[in-house]
Amino acid sequence: MRIIVAIKQVPETKSVKMDEKTGTVIREGVEAIVNPLDLYAIETAIELRETFSSLVARRTGHESRVTSHGARTCAARTENAGTSEVIGISMGPPKAVTALREAIAMGFDSGVLVSDSAFAGSDTWATSYILAEAIKRIGDFSLVICGERATDGDTGQVGPGIASFLDLPVVSYVSKIELIGGLKPTLRVNRLVEDGYEVLSCSLPCILTVVKEVSVPRLPTLRGKQRAKRTEIPVWGRDDLDVDLSKVGVNGSPTRVVKIFRPKVTRQCEKVLAKDDESIKEAVDKLAHLYLRLLCR
Amino acid sequence: MEFFVRSEKKYNPVTPKIVDELKQIVGSRYVIYGDEEKLQPYSHDEVPGAEYAHMPEAVVRPGTAEEIAAIMKLANREMIPVTPRGAGSGLSGGAVPVCGGIVVLFDRMNKILELDRENMMIVVEPGVVTNEINEFLKEHGLFYAAYPMSLETCYIGGNVAENAGGAKAVKYGVTSRYVVGLDVVTPTGEIVELGGKLIKDVSGYNMVQLMVGSEGTLGLFTKITLKLLPLPKAQVDLLCLFKNIEEAIKAVPKIQTIGGIIPTSIEFMNKTAIKASCEYLNESIPYQQAGAMLLITVDGPDEQQIEREYESIGQLCLDAGAIEVYVADNATTSERIWKVRRNIGEAYNVISRRQSAEDIVVPPAAIPAMAAKLQELSDKYDVMIPCFGHAGDGNLHSRIVSQPWWSDEKWHKVLPKILDELYRLTAEVGGRISGEHGIGHKKKNYLPYVVSENYIDMLRTIKRAMDPNNILNPGKIFDL
Repeated sequence: MRIIVAIKQVPETKSVKMDEKTGTVIREGVEAIVNPLDLYAIETAIELRETFSSLVARRTGHESRVTSHGARTCAARTENAGTSEVIGISMGPPKAVTALREAIAMGFDSGVLVSDSAFAGSDTWATSYILAEAIKRIGDFSLVICGERATDGDTGQVGPGIASFLDLPVVSYVSKIELIGGLKPTLRVNRLVEDGYEVLSCSLPCILTVVKEVSVPRLPTLRGKQRAKRTEIPVWGRDDLDVDLSKVGVNGSPTRVVKIFRPKVTRQCEKVLAKDDESIKEAVDKLAHLYLRLLCR
Repeated sequence: MEFFVRSEKKYNPVTPKIVDELKQIVGSRYVIYGDEEKLQPYSHDEVPGAEYAHMPEAVVRPGTAEEIAAIMKLANREMIPVTPRGAGSGLSGGAVPVCGGIVVLFDRMNKILELDRENMMIVVEPGVVTNEINEFLKEHGLFYAAYPMSLETCYIGGNVAENAGGAKAVKYGVTSRYVVGLDVVTPTGEIVELGGKLIKDVSGYNMVQLMVGSEGTLGLFTKITLKLLPLPKAQVDLLCLFKNIEEAIKAVPKIQTIGGIIPTSIEFMNKTAIKASCEYLNESIPYQQAGAMLLITVDGPDEQQIEREYESIGQLCLDAGAIEVYVADNATTSERIWKVRRNIGEAYNVISRRQSAEDIVVPPAAIPAMAAKLQELSDKYDVMIPCFGHAGDGNLHSRIVSQPWWSDEKWHKVLPKILDELYRLTAEVGGRISGEHGIGHKKKNYLPYVVSENYIDMLRTIKRAMDPNNILNPGKIFDL
């Protein structure tokens, strides 16, 4: 079972500052981190690999062969259903390689960086298209997992976008995943909706976007960090992927950023001096009215 | 708190006539008087327990050194005690007006006056929140290294008065290392300039360093000059889980002797502390197996160097028997592992508010022996003693926490016995009763456990010479 996780490197939001004049984000000197919401996707993938391996071990009655990195990749290539691997994929500038290394330090088997000046400035549509092509090239996957959204763009569109380009089923806002069945499993997932969750059954391959509730990310260990440092991460550009260059980058993106501005925060303050029963009732009514208006928004 | 008043010279009350004079000095809107509710917040610091609190009679909020000098002249003339107060985040009662009288608040004197880039120094007023100094310096590529754990609330003036330390003391030392100049109002109301923008200065006694850590008993600071360092560009934290305290502490000196590295900080947590904090935070690291943890930080000017340093420290810890070593080299993971350390106090506040935050400091090699004795105390008196702190410098924060079902009466009966034993043990291994919180009035009676009478006499002589009427912050550190 091969699981691919799409990871984005984002600026650390606490330290982000806005240029007051141009209204754009100042990226210089700002630390780049793994999109915090992708950490849950990373953890989920590692846990699924562990679950699947022990499931296989139980089925076949001997210890899982997932013992070393080498054994895993070889087996995957020969399409052995009993082994599993987790691969990270990220599109971004060359320095985004550190995001993939963090995933490997946490337990991923390998990573692929998709990076090319022709891809720079791609919107969510073009990004989904490029990532889908890269995922096709990795091939032979059972599952693609994404975080629910990135903390910088905040759109949540790329996960479902990839599914659309790959023409595969997608379940978004997944809060729980169960593997059902044996060597060719299906999934039973909980999907968060406004007033509870849906329980859905899903065949593989498919795409999931996961929310915080799905897992608790582990911390990278020293051994993991050292392994990540040694792991070579291939960089795929325009020549490595079967992409139509007229559909990528700033020019290929249907989205146009016309203007960026800071939303004006307006605060209205009203003081109510409630001294007797009647004015207290009036104040409570006012608060209830305000609350209802907030709910209806 | 009658006994405090009796033990000091007789002071006069703050009368409405004196309040009028205070109002003339600082302006009427900057004097708080006659309103219990408004005065109450200035009756205590962060030391838990009403027995350590005492109400002020008036609170004044001066804006200049001249105003403070005038207040001190008035206080000497009328024999009224004056207690300086920063943000009130102290842990030994330094800002508590134990003899009543006037509290001088520095919240209005909160400006960063000058950044001197040529000399790598900054001049600030005492009421600047310590963290704001570093926020301000960040874009200039500089930093002030000696901030304590309470950096987001405490004032720099309070840091200087208490000679605050912090997690980074292993590499960067404590406040005293960075204070080069002080403008001071003396207890008798004179304005004096001490030190300056100098790295070396031997003109007479080292008065700047006498003021640092004087706990508000020798002078009121009105301007502080601090030495700065270049801001480290890279930082990595390691969280190392060990089976027991002995193994963890034995790894500490190896980092410096074998590894040849001086880490920025080496924080230590015992089993009790780890468990409470991890449960409070819902942290998923396998803390159940850990008998002790070390949180080690390295920082420096370039990433490659820091990578080499953390790898060799991590390997040393594994060789020394660490169960696991986690690496945090980005804001997300760094915040997560520091949270475990920072939330120990909060986790115990949820269990019981009856606590005594101790701040003993011992020679670093004595930590395992001390930790074992703390465990004995905890078993003997049936209290919780989470033990955490700065393993690199031997400063152990052992917090004595009451069982939640205990009565106040039982707590107050048992606590002095525990403290008595704890401080005797500390003295036995060559330690002191406070590494960074100060003595204040909280630990005053225990000071003779760890220092000689001649030493305390020396302190008394200095205090009497500088403050003949015992006006400034009386009742602290020692009895006159």
